[in-house]
Amino acid sequence: MRKTIDNRTKGWILPHLREHPWRFLAASLAGLLAVACAGALLFTSGYLISRSALRPENVLMVYVPIVLVRAFGFSKAVVQYLERLVSHDTVLRILSRMRVRLYRIIEPQALQLHTRHRTGDLLGLLAEDIEQLQNVFLRLILPATTAVLIYGAGIIALGLMDVRFALWMALYCGFWFFTVPVFALFVSRRMRISSKAQRSLAYRELTDGIFGMSDWLLSGRMASFLGDFSKRQAKMAEADRRLRRSEWRIQWLTQCLIGGAIVLLTLWAAGQSASGAFPPEWIAACALIGFALLDALAKAGETVMRATDYRDSVRRLQAVEQAGHQHPEPEHPEPAPVSGDGAAQPAAASGLRLINVSYRHPGSEAWTLEDINLEVPAGSRVALLGRSGAGKTTLLHLIQGELTPDRGLIETGGTPVSRMRSDQMRPFAVLNQQPYLFDTTLSGNIRLGRPDATDEEVREAAEMAGLGGLLATLPDGLDTRVREAGERFSGGERQRIALARVLLQDRPIVLLDEPTVGLDPLTERALLSTMFAALRGRTLLWITHHLIGMEHMDQIVFLDRGRIVMQGTHQQLMREQERYRRLYALDRI
Amino acid sequence: MDKTLLSLRGIRPAMLVIGMLSLLQALAIIGQALSLAEAVTLLFQGGTAAEVLRPLITFVAAWVARHTAVWSQRLCAGRFAERTGETLRSKLAERLFERGPAHAARTGSGRLVTLTLDGVDRFRSYLELTVIRTTDMALVTALLLIAVYALDVASGLILTFTMPVLIGFFVLLGYAARRMADRQYRSFQVLAQHFTDVLRGLATLKFLGRSRDYAGVVEQVSDRYRTATMRTLRVAFLSSFALDFFSTLSVAFVAVGLGLRLISGGIGLEAALAVLLLAPEYFLPVRLFGSDYHASLDGKEAWTAIREVIGETRAPDAFVGTSQADGRSDAGRQVEDVPDRQPDHAARSATSAPWLELSDIHVSGEGGMSRLSGITASLGHDHRKIGIVGMSGAGKTTLLNVLGGFLEPESGQVRIAGLPLAGDAKRKWQQELSLIPQRPYLFAASIADNVRFYEPEASDEQVLQALADVGLAELVARLPHGIHERIGDGGRALSGGQAHRIALARALVGRRSVWLLDEPTAHLDVETELELKETMLKLFEGRRVFLATHRLHWMKEMDWIWVLKDGRLAEAGTHEQLLARQGVYRSMMEAAMEEVELGEEDHR
Repeated sequence: MRKTIDNRTKGWILPHLREHPWRFLAASLAGLLAVACAGALLFTSGYLISRSALRPENVLMVYVPIVLVRAFGFSKAVVQYLERLVSHDTVLRILSRMRVRLYRIIEPQALQLHTRHRTGDLLGLLAEDIEQLQNVFLRLILPATTAVLIYGAGIIALGLMDVRFALWMALYCGFWFFTVPVFALFVSRRMRISSKAQRSLAYRELTDGIFGMSDWLLSGRMASFLGDFSKRQAKMAEADRRLRRSEWRIQWLTQCLIGGAIVLLTLWAAGQSASGAFPPEWIAACALIGFALLDALAKAGETVMRATDYRDSVRRLQAVEQAGHQHPEPEHPEPAPVSGDGAAQPAAASGLRLINVSYRHPGSEAWTLEDINLEVPAGSRVALLGRSGAGKTTLLHLIQGELTPDRGLIETGGTPVSRMRSDQMRPFAVLNQQPYLFDTTLSGNIRLGRPDATDEEVREAAEMAGLGGLLATLPDGLDTRVREAGERFSGGERQRIALARVLLQDRPIVLLDEPTVGLDPLTERALLSTMFAALRGRTLLWITHHLIGMEHMDQIVFLDRGRIVMQGTHQQLMREQERYRRLYALDRI
Repeated sequence: MDKTLLSLRGIRPAMLVIGMLSLLQALAIIGQALSLAEAVTLLFQGGTAAEVLRPLITFVAAWVARHTAVWSQRLCAGRFAERTGETLRSKLAERLFERGPAHAARTGSGRLVTLTLDGVDRFRSYLELTVIRTTDMALVTALLLIAVYALDVASGLILTFTMPVLIGFFVLLGYAARRMADRQYRSFQVLAQHFTDVLRGLATLKFLGRSRDYAGVVEQVSDRYRTATMRTLRVAFLSSFALDFFSTLSVAFVAVGLGLRLISGGIGLEAALAVLLLAPEYFLPVRLFGSDYHASLDGKEAWTAIREVIGETRAPDAFVGTSQADGRSDAGRQVEDVPDRQPDHAARSATSAPWLELSDIHVSGEGGMSRLSGITASLGHDHRKIGIVGMSGAGKTTLLNVLGGFLEPESGQVRIAGLPLAGDAKRKWQQELSLIPQRPYLFAASIADNVRFYEPEASDEQVLQALADVGLAELVARLPHGIHERIGDGGRALSGGQAHRIALARALVGRRSVWLLDEPTAHLDVETELELKETMLKLFEGRRVFLATHRLHWMKEMDWIWVLKDGRLAEAGTHEQLLARQGVYRSMMEAAMEEVELGEEDHR
């Protein structure tokens, strides 16, 4: 199922199996044992009653089969229970490794992923893909392995008695229970593709319908949408129906062939008994054991039919892994020759300097940013404005060291940021547009800024971020779980929680990436005054979308198409730039 | 079986047919057991292959008949479930449209899409499994038991007494597992969601410089999740273990009992073999029910969610589409309406009634909070541009939804030119409207089709003209396919400002005379905002506009202003009147004019 694998990415299935060979083997063997117990129960039962029918003198003559029947009846369920526990435990272990692996793949490209897929839905999807993969093990690989083991064991057992018949049965079962399902799967791939295509069309149409509902209603085209959708979903259902019907046909055929195999087995046993190879009691035993073993084999065929269901998940994971190779982490040529170990850099004032910085996205002709020169002295405040696509976000990523400039240099405190190896050493804190609140307590969220902070420090940061009033209304205060509070936190409150994190983190340079977008003016003003008061003395680079608070900036920079087009203090720009005056008027009524 | 399923149309005939097939299946199983027992007995007694030919052929025939019955059951249940699924899907889509965009947004539009497509599929599987398993469990089990009694009373008694024990343990252990899971639900949920949570917050972790060491946390939590899951599974698997255990043990006891009675001569070999073949089949339906029960739980959940959307207040028959016909006649009426549509139908009805009247509008939100309360207002014919201002959560968007007829207020009335907003009047009103939300939705189609959404017949020239009017001519000229460039899901991405312009062009081509705008510029950068405002003001000429925003600079251009506060209409008037009043509007203006307090004497 994994045909096209870049040699740099390893598979998502087999390597993980190899990490737990013994557990996997144990699970498969337990599966085999469970079926063997079921078979043995029927076999010994058949033997027992045939033997009894010969009216032995003494009950003791059938004492052994009686004990065995009871033992197998008892152990089948127990073994099956153990098998399920072992297999689930193994798979959960594998899943845990997969999560770490996926995390390591995504972590370096986190910011780029966010810009490429704005919603972050992709990430949720990938997490689900991993959950999906557990079914590859539980519903596909394990049952298939068990079936192969049963098949092998059964054929060998027959072969010990009669090689020719064993070969016949090997061919019969192998053909009907393995080859035919694989062939059917191959034949139905067209149907599968069309069913999937119909489904994604239906998805797209319905998404357009529900997200664009007001337009459908207003345009009076609602009836036509509903008509189209009901046709589309009928087509989707039709494709599904054909697929299901073909699966049911195969299952019917398989079941019928089990009947044939039982007849063959019975006749063979009768022949063996007539020729004296084994006692007549075995006839019933052989007929009965067929029921248990063949049923288990038929299940293998059903699992094969499901083999392609997980393809999309594997492909998506591989795509992300490959994207990771294509967007490698910025190379850090050599260990930074910084004095000391860098982590110990004091949070004292440090500025930021950009010299002739140019950057273009890989594979693109045009410069995303060209010849940017910017001097941000320690402790000063710079506002950065520009339309969407002007290059603000790219500039931010360059400063953070997520991207490396093609030309020019970005340095802070005399060290180029690209030389600072770990995130820990970089002197930046970031407050972005939609800070994420994790599903833990308020204090847990704030403490992310500095894990070793004391409760007192966390409380202090929260107070400074202006959360005091909010905390007073929460019965559990800082121990309130964020999700249980649900959407009770407004946009402004979320930003304040994020601000508390940044305060706790205590870095000399703070990058503000439109933290107030979408807030109403009063909330925005209140947040800005808290923010500026709390971050007093630090170097600020503030990306913003409008001009509130510009009077307090030491420098205002306008970016357009990758270049700086306006630059100066508020007073300068008001005096010299007509365009700035008009923009400013929007915010001043 | 879930009683609510019985209200589905066509379930009774389907169950009847499936029931008959269950009976047929049971008879075939009995036939299969008897004939195989006969053949084996003959062979055991030294019979030749020719002698056993008849019973073996009977066996094969019964075997095939049995599986054909199973297959037919699937086909029958499948057809019924598929049909039900299709009607449900259409019904869901219709109900969603009836309930309107406000409801969809509140319930979660993405969730509704998934429910309508995947949720219905899951329900379909649940439905077909339930129908088959319940009839099988009732009929096959009973018939096989009768057959066993007829062959051997003692075995019949063992099987009879095992069944309640087995079901009892299944239910009891299932219940225990459920209770255990419920007890740890919260912490379990946190563990289960942890990985998704971390991935979604990855950018934030990165900013905090914590993302690298989090790989360790992911592993730790993952392992804790595994331990917790295994703890639950140990109990959860017990319930299917009970099914397995008691059924195999019971078969073993039957076999031993038969053996002992064979020795004492209480029963013949043929009958004993037949009973031994029937015993596992007797337990099969209940075991299948048990294993499918857990697998189909999510289908059951989907069913609950579907019924919630469709609304239980309706008669069960309403599930099945009577509405196809309605839809068609609806379309018919709209076609008739088109010729007499004029740019401003409100202006025509120059009656003495105010142009638009709101009387005591009340809309309640979740948790008993009201989103709008007691809104009473009226607009004259010369109030052409109406500004709606207020802070976040003041009820601006809700009011726009009420005005557009997308949200029925719990009490109070909207009147347009004296007519209440319902039926034909509402349809007519909506044909004059264009709603431009904060983030306009772009359909997965070409730019042209997006723009002529209201007027699919519009020519490319009209589209180009509209695009030029909203200032997109330059962008379109740069695109490789011009107006036929695909946008929306899977197409070229547009910025927020560009999406707004597309929505404006859509309204222009649709010749809509009343525009409802929700925060048209709040999230745009100031340069784009200024340009877009200039474009929009030109387009507003000759139209009625309701513009909801917290960007107060728009208000100077408005003829009339409604000031909302906490869901109430605090003030209404012109910009000048409101400024003179020293009220909410005035204080909002003053707050906006104030400089941001930085308290920073020591900064410079």
